[in-house]
Amino acid sequence: MPRVAPSTFSQYRTLLAKDLRQEFRTREMLTSMGIYALLVIIVYGAALALTAHGVDIVHMGGGLLWVLIVFTSLLGLARSFAREKEQGCMEGVLLVPLDRSVVFLAKATSNILFMLAVEVIAVPLFYFFFMTSEPAAPTLPFIVAPLLVGTVGMAGIGTMLSTITSNTRSADVMLAVLFIPLIYPLLYACVTATTAAIAGTEFWTDFFVMPLVLACGYDVVMLLVCWVLYDFVVSA
Amino acid sequence: MNAVETLHLTKAFGTRRAVDDVTFSLPEGSFLSIFGPNGAGKTTLLRVLSTLARPTGGEARLCGVDLKENPDEARGLIGMISHQSMLYPDLTAEENLMLYAKLYGVANPAARVSELLDAVGLSHRRLDAVRTFSRGMTQRVSIARALVHDPRIVFLDEPYSGLDPHAVEIFDELIGAVRGDRTFVMVSHDLAKGFSMCTHALVLARGRIVTFAPKDEIAFGDFSELYRQTVGMGVA
Amino acid sequence: MAKKTTRVPEAGGWPDAVAVPALIAGAVLTTVGFLMAFLWAAPVNGAALSAPELVGDVMVTHQQLISQKIFYFHMPVAIVSFVALAFGAYYGIRFLMTREQRFDTCSRVAMEIALLFVVLTMITGDLWTRFEWGVWWTWEPRLTTYLILMLIAIAYFVLRNAVDDPERRATYAGVVSVIALVDVPVCFMITRLIPSSIHPVVAREGGMSPDMAATVFVVLAGMMLVGYGLYRLRFREARLGERLQALKDMLE
Repeated sequence: MPRVAPSTFSQYRTLLAKDLRQEFRTREMLTSMGIYALLVIIVYGAALALTAHGVDIVHMGGGLLWVLIVFTSLLGLARSFAREKEQGCMEGVLLVPLDRSVVFLAKATSNILFMLAVEVIAVPLFYFFFMTSEPAAPTLPFIVAPLLVGTVGMAGIGTMLSTITSNTRSADVMLAVLFIPLIYPLLYACVTATTAAIAGTEFWTDFFVMPLVLACGYDVVMLLVCWVLYDFVVSA
Repeated sequence: MNAVETLHLTKAFGTRRAVDDVTFSLPEGSFLSIFGPNGAGKTTLLRVLSTLARPTGGEARLCGVDLKENPDEARGLIGMISHQSMLYPDLTAEENLMLYAKLYGVANPAARVSELLDAVGLSHRRLDAVRTFSRGMTQRVSIARALVHDPRIVFLDEPYSGLDPHAVEIFDELIGAVRGDRTFVMVSHDLAKGFSMCTHALVLARGRIVTFAPKDEIAFGDFSELYRQTVGMGVA
Repeated sequence: MAKKTTRVPEAGGWPDAVAVPALIAGAVLTTVGFLMAFLWAAPVNGAALSAPELVGDVMVTHQQLISQKIFYFHMPVAIVSFVALAFGAYYGIRFLMTREQRFDTCSRVAMEIALLFVVLTMITGDLWTRFEWGVWWTWEPRLTTYLILMLIAIAYFVLRNAVDDPERRATYAGVVSVIALVDVPVCFMITRLIPSSIHPVVAREGGMSPDMAATVFVVLAGMMLVGYGLYRLRFREARLGERLQALKDMLE
């Protein structure tokens, strides 16, 4: 049987296509994440019911938005390895001669894509329900940058932690317990940048550029660490 | 050349030795059955030989390829049929096989996949999701998956668990048909069955080799008597 | 291939012999430091707010209360906890490289010490916050970082409890300890560098005077010794447990 060693990139593409195809077929993750995001918005509606007019939504909006994103992502990340475990597929993939970090990168990419897909729906919904009472600042479109950087970082470290917790008892809770403290710095930076862009006050760049750069730094450092350590995690 | 060759192979954690000083060589084309009571280290030995677990000591070679130095080359030589199918339930039989064919870099994946589906008699179901298959059919797809890259050595990890007698019959037939000059290594609880299929038998107890011999040197009666004693030893 | 022999930490050698004396010496030094802090050292200068601030119900510029003596304990405890975390991650890496169970034991014990000292840091830090700044909690960079560190340390042990297979548990623990070590400084940097419009910046003006430095140093040395002594004692206990388990396994 003639075999040509496939390039790392083509293996990455194959694995990614597998995740996307599965999701396209079942829509399991996207539906559950989307519904969950909507539910969080409804809970916000109740939580802010009495304060809705007096509350400083311009300064709270960024934070609330990120709460929504963090918890929705947590749900998706926890699910992302369930399918790999179900029939021992993870082992099947690991039996193939491929670099372990490819498995990590492919999974992280699919998680980024799913999270972004949900954000595309959830962020406009959030805006529609809570932010339309105030005139939008001209800098509002800039929230895309922290959303993107934050999603990449959360998906990266989340993929790593999800691989670990998928082998533990009460995996979902375990993932949250590890995930939230570890992403705190990223969350802090992203909330600051998002809030700055939403408020768009005179010196908004002071609160936007620096946090964004720091968030990028966090992404780079954490993705590198995860990338290096992933081999150990899967060959445990 | 020997298909499998181990020298003082050990897998230990702390003082617990799951595989302890295992030395044997298996000529190419043989069928090795590994027996032993629960916790004897059969599955661990198979995981070490299939590069899913790292040995802590000793050496192991598959067709002359050192597992520690060249794990990726060794991975290309082996196929694994386990009690878990390692197939993604939401993908079709064909998609599953294509996925693995591409990951292994099989030269003409589409042709190879349809050839294999023919061989396991599931061409008519190739567009159905694996989730809809019976246990027996899933296991047949699993055989095709393990053979997609034409491995020299095939590992079988309790392949019969959950199969009804009829499915077992088909499974055996298929294994016979795809046997060729490949080497098989099987872990099984079923003494009579494992013994009837093998050319070599290996009995493990508490991680150590109790017996390793070609079948023609032992009679089944003596063997099962010996095994009973061993199991007794392992349990006591 | 050249075989490298790795030296594996073992209980029962000279380090254990000095563990108890180290613990006692540490306790003595800490007590001495305690006395120095109250009887000899000058009040911590600085620790002032950048602008007058309404804290509690009073307008304060800075308060120089007896509470500032907490500083002499707070800082050493915080340093020791971070050192313990660094050791935890170091042994975690050693474990991942060698797969030697004993490194995992070391890593775990170091993390236990780190957790203990992080909790002490949180308590002393919170007392400081209450008396110096008049609030029980503020999302100040150092406080935040230590809260996060505490949560990670707790998560580390929750994770250990949730994995059954000992080798897998050790591997995951090693990986998480490394991620934790990387995450904590990043967390501090990010919370520190991002300008916050809500909280006053706490500036620590000027260095420490020699008498203050001496006091801090004495307490730091004491705390280090206490940390070391506790580490060795706990390690010996864990090792003896492991050996007992091994003997039981052999008898089976």
